Parts: sequence; C-alpha cells; structure tokens
Amino acid sequence: MAYTLFFLLSIVCIGSIIGMIATKNQVYNAYLLVLAFASMGGLFALLQAPFIAAVQIIIYAGAILVLFIFVIMMINLRQGLPPEKKKWTYYFSGGIAAVLAGELILSLKGTFSIEPSAPMENFGSPTRIGRLLFTEYLYPFEITSVLILAAIVGAIVLVKKREKK
Amino acid sequence: MNSFWALSPLLLVVLAALVVLLLEVFLKKETKDYLAYLSSLFLAGCGIILMIFWDKNYSYFDGNFLLDNLALVFSLLLTLATILVILISIKYISLQGANYGEYYALLLFALSGMLIMVSSQSLLIIFLGLEILSISSYSLAGLRRENPESSEAAIKYFLLGSFATAFLVYGLALMYGSTHSLEISSIIRFLTTGTHLNLMLLVGLGLIIIGFAFKIALVPFHMWTPDVYQGSPTPVTAFFSVGPKVVGFAVLLRIFHFYWETAFHTQTLMTALWVISVLTMVVGNLIALRQTNVKRILAYSSIAHAGYLLIALIAQDPTSLIFYLAVYLFMNIGAFTAVTSLGRKGKEYVELNDYSGIGFKYPWIGATFAVFLFSLAGFPPTGGFLAKFFVFASAVRKGFTPLVIIAVIASLISVFYYLRIIVTMYMKEPSPSMQILTRNPVLFSVLFLCLYGVLQLGIYPGNVLGFIRQAVAAMPLL
Repeated sequence: MAYTLFFLLSIVCIGSIIGMIATKNQVYNAYLLVLAFASMGGLFALLQAPFIAAVQIIIYAGAILVLFIFVIMMINLRQGLPPEKKKWTYYFSGGIAAVLAGELILSLKGTFSIEPSAPMENFGSPTRIGRLLFTEYLYPFEITSVLILAAIVGAIVLVKKREKK
Repeated sequence: MNSFWALSPLLLVVLAALVVLLLEVFLKKETKDYLAYLSSLFLAGCGIILMIFWDKNYSYFDGNFLLDNLALVFSLLLTLATILVILISIKYISLQGANYGEYYALLLFALSGMLIMVSSQSLLIIFLGLEILSISSYSLAGLRRENPESSEAAIKYFLLGSFATAFLVYGLALMYGSTHSLEISSIIRFLTTGTHLNLMLLVGLGLIIIGFAFKIALVPFHMWTPDVYQGSPTPVTAFFSVGPKVVGFAVLLRIFHFYWETAFHTQTLMTALWVISVLTMVVGNLIALRQTNVKRILAYSSIAHAGYLLIALIAQDPTSLIFYLAVYLFMNIGAFTAVTSLGRKGKEYVELNDYSGIGFKYPWIGATFAVFLFSLAGFPPTGGFLAKFFVFASAVRKGFTPLVIIAVIASLISVFYYLRIIVTMYMKEPSPSMQILTRNPVLFSVLFLCLYGVLQLGIYPGNVLGFIRQAVAAMPLL
C-alpha cells in the first residue's frame, strides 16, 4: 500500500513539475505547482512527518501559491513573455543541472550503505513540536510575534490610502 | 525576581508601540505630536529600568535572554538614540509628508529588535532581533511616499538587506550543522577543541560576519548606504547611521570577545578584518571627497567611521570601541539634526550649495553643525578626537602600527570634506531664497543636548569611561 502510494505521489509530483516547465500559460503553471506541492505533502505524510505535511500544504500549496495566482491575475499576461533564445543560458542551466544530478547520486550512494533506523518516538509530531515551541523555544517564539506585527504595520503604512488634502 | 521583571524594558518598548498604534486611530492630524512625546516618555521609563538593572546580571530562558552590564550599556545607548530621533522627527515628518502615527511605532519596533539583539548570546535570537530591526527599517526608509527617492531607498534597502539576511541564515545553518548549537560561547568552544580544521564552521562564521558587515556598511558591502541614506527621511537616516551600527558592533564584540581568547586561526581572520578595515576607511573617505549632497557626504563619513570602529575590534579593546560608539552617537545624530532643521514645508535643503552662508543666517544651527563636523573629523577638544585617540593608541600598543598609520592618513583626507561644509557655511554669501522653519524648540534642545554630549565626552570622559570599563570587566569568560 505504502509503496503504491509512494510511486503514485512521486509520479504525480515529477509529472506536474515537468508539466509546469513545459506549459507557457502562467495560470496552468501555478496550478501544476500547487499539484506538485500537494503531492510532496503526501510524501511527507508517508514518511510519518504529519506536521511537515500539513505545513507543506497549508503554506506552500495554500498561502504562497494563492499569492502567485493573485499576482498573475493582476499582471494579466495572456501570452506570457516571449521566450528568450540565448544559447549560453542552455549551456549554463545544463551545467548546473549536471552538477545537481551528480550531487544527488553521490548523496544517494552515501545513504544506501547506512542501515535505516527508526526515527525517535513522536519525532516531528505536532505535539512534540508544540511542546518545544512553548518550553525550550518560548522566547524566540514570542519574539516572532513582534516580528510579524512589525511586518504588518510596515506593509500597511506603505500602501494605505492617501489622505485627502 | 521573575523573567517578566527582567523583560520589562523590552516589553515597555513593545507596549509603547502598541499604544501608539491604538491612539493613532483616534488622534487628529494636528495632534499627532503627542504620540512622539508619549513614546519618549515610555522610552525614558525603559531607560530608568535599565539603569536599575545595573550589576544585576539577569539571565533567563537558558541564557537566550541575558542582561549583563554590556547589554545594559548598549541598550541605554540605543534607547537614548531612539529618543533623540523621535524628538527631531516631530516637525519634520509633518513638513515632509510622512506624518503617520505608525512612524513612531515602527521606530519603537526597530528599537525592540535592537534591544533583543544586544541582550542575547544565542545567534538564533540575534537573527530574529535583526529581522525585526530590518523589516521596520525597510518601511521607515520609504515613508515619504510622494518622493520617488524615498521609494528607491526602501526598495534598495529591502533587496540588499534580504540578500544580507540570506548570507546570515546560510551561515547560521552551517554553524548549527557543525556544532549543534547556536550559542556563541559553545560555537567558539567547539572551534577550539576540534582537532582538525573545521571548514564548514569557518565558512559559517565568515558568512555571519558578511551578514553583519552589510548592516554596519563595511566596504565592500557598503553599496546600499549612500542611496538609502539620501532617500530616507532625514531623522530616519540619523537612526540608520547609529542604530544598526551600534548593534552590529555589539554582536561582533560578543563573537570576537570569545574568539580572541582562543587564539585559534586568529591570524587568517585578523588579516581579513585588517583588509576590510583599510578598505572601509580609504574607500569611504575618498568617495566622500566628490559628493555634493550633504546627506551622501555624511553617509560616506559613516562608512569611514565603521572602518575606525573595526580597528578597535581588531585591537581587542572593547572599552574604546564602546566609547567610540557613544561619541559617534552624539556627533552623528547631532549632525543629522542640523541637516533635519534645514527645511520647510515640502522642501529640504541637502545640497552643499544650499548651505552657503548658513553660519551667519542661522548662527546657532551653523555653529553646532560646525562643532559636530569638527568632532567627526577628530579635532580636539571634541569627543571625536578622544575616541579616535583611544582607538589608535590601543591599536599601536597591540602592534598594529601600519593600520594606525593608514587610519591617520584616512582621517586627514576626511578633514577636507568636513571642512568643505564648514567653509561653505561661513565663507559664502547666503542665498536670499532659502527660508527654513525656525520655530522648533524640541529640535533645538536635541541639537544642544548632542553638543553637550560631544563636549562632555571630549573634555571630561571619566564618568562614562568608568561605566564602560565596569561593563567590559564583567563580560563572561569562555
């Protein structure tokens, strides 16, 4: 069952990423990216990391992608940008892709030799993360609220309506 | 005593910001000045509590929050700087179309971020504090919304600041990966006990230093400084030139205080800092020679001063570093206060030509501005002279004579552009079209307070030096 799900989700994830690169329509791009993120969330759930799975779907597939779609709708590009055909960009990106692929193979070689070990009890569970947040990391957690407040106030003061003269 | 009491200065600053945001809704445009007085009152309370905490050494949350005397000295300096900036903003923001109550709230948020940074040993907390400071700064830079220069400053500061943050976070990740800790002391301890050279850790340390070098505008990470200083509202520029610099050096001091004691790989890092310091002094002072905008001149001057401050760090002399920062606070805020005062509704005088004859037309502004410029150049009997003297003397004692020779030559170059402003103010005919708003008693009191600070620290620095020595002596050992 887990294997079937794993391959299904992986195929959906990789397929939607390839589709995203191949299509020219920005709205389709964004939707395919949502699909990729959602299936990646499913993969995390399979690895027994429910918290990361939920965060992956809520933040990436939810918040960030909705933002992308809003921007696409606001800018309203029908045709998309004319593709720039420059030869060196192909070579450059090809080179970077080769480096990344090499890195992936090297790290895979490393992991196969290690015996898989079961993660700690409750590792990455929402309970455990929540407990850490409110005990050991209480101070940074509370500081983050000031950070978010400052960001909201800063953003609003820059865009709020001009006062009438 | 519980942690609430120890946190009260920080909580008071955040509370002040919240109260300002709440009252902003109910106040009319003409009465928004009260927000400034109210936030200054809150900050004065915060300062008094900080003084009560002297020698108490509160430490909570596993050392994530640490109020040792060093943190108190820096917190007091930063609180004072913020009060001064708030007071000089009152008239300015209504004249220059940035009269939002949120202005004070953002300044207070920025201050809270800085207080968090100076009172922690954990790089995670320092990073969060830095983000609070930076995010508030980005919006403060763009507050003159009708002015394209201000928006340019905000965008530039935001993009380059985010870039610097990325460096910092990458450095933190590498450090955590290699040491499993973000406490400064345990990271440095790990560095010394390791048997072999830990490359990942050193790269992490380097990236963290680059991140802070952006914030304190060291060459070659200084590109954003002149544009941001020029475009931001002038009181905000005063804040940028003092606040981030003080916290940046506070954090670097905390890192290097442990690093010196280890004497491990010291030579490589020292050479790097040596080169950065020379570059910062020389490039800052040379480019300043060709500027005609006073705000840009002061921007390059602040870059050059970061170079002198770095000498104090290299010479391992925390006392003269902190003393220099205290003097720098008064003379730089003083100079920007003088620039702030030269404006009227919708018009600011920032070009060098506008300053012709100011010395006679507005004698008080001209005279105090001249004193601040003399202090920045390092003439006795001002604080700027003593600050430079202490730093250079301790560097010579530690055997960094070539560095000091370069620094002295650089400050000789700097005399030219400081004197150029003074010459323009006193030896050229005033232009009749120039008119400024002179009825601004709060701004003038800040001007004279800064004058007092510069002269007090230059003529009788004993008291302040005593406090700084106590704070440095109480610094924790590795």
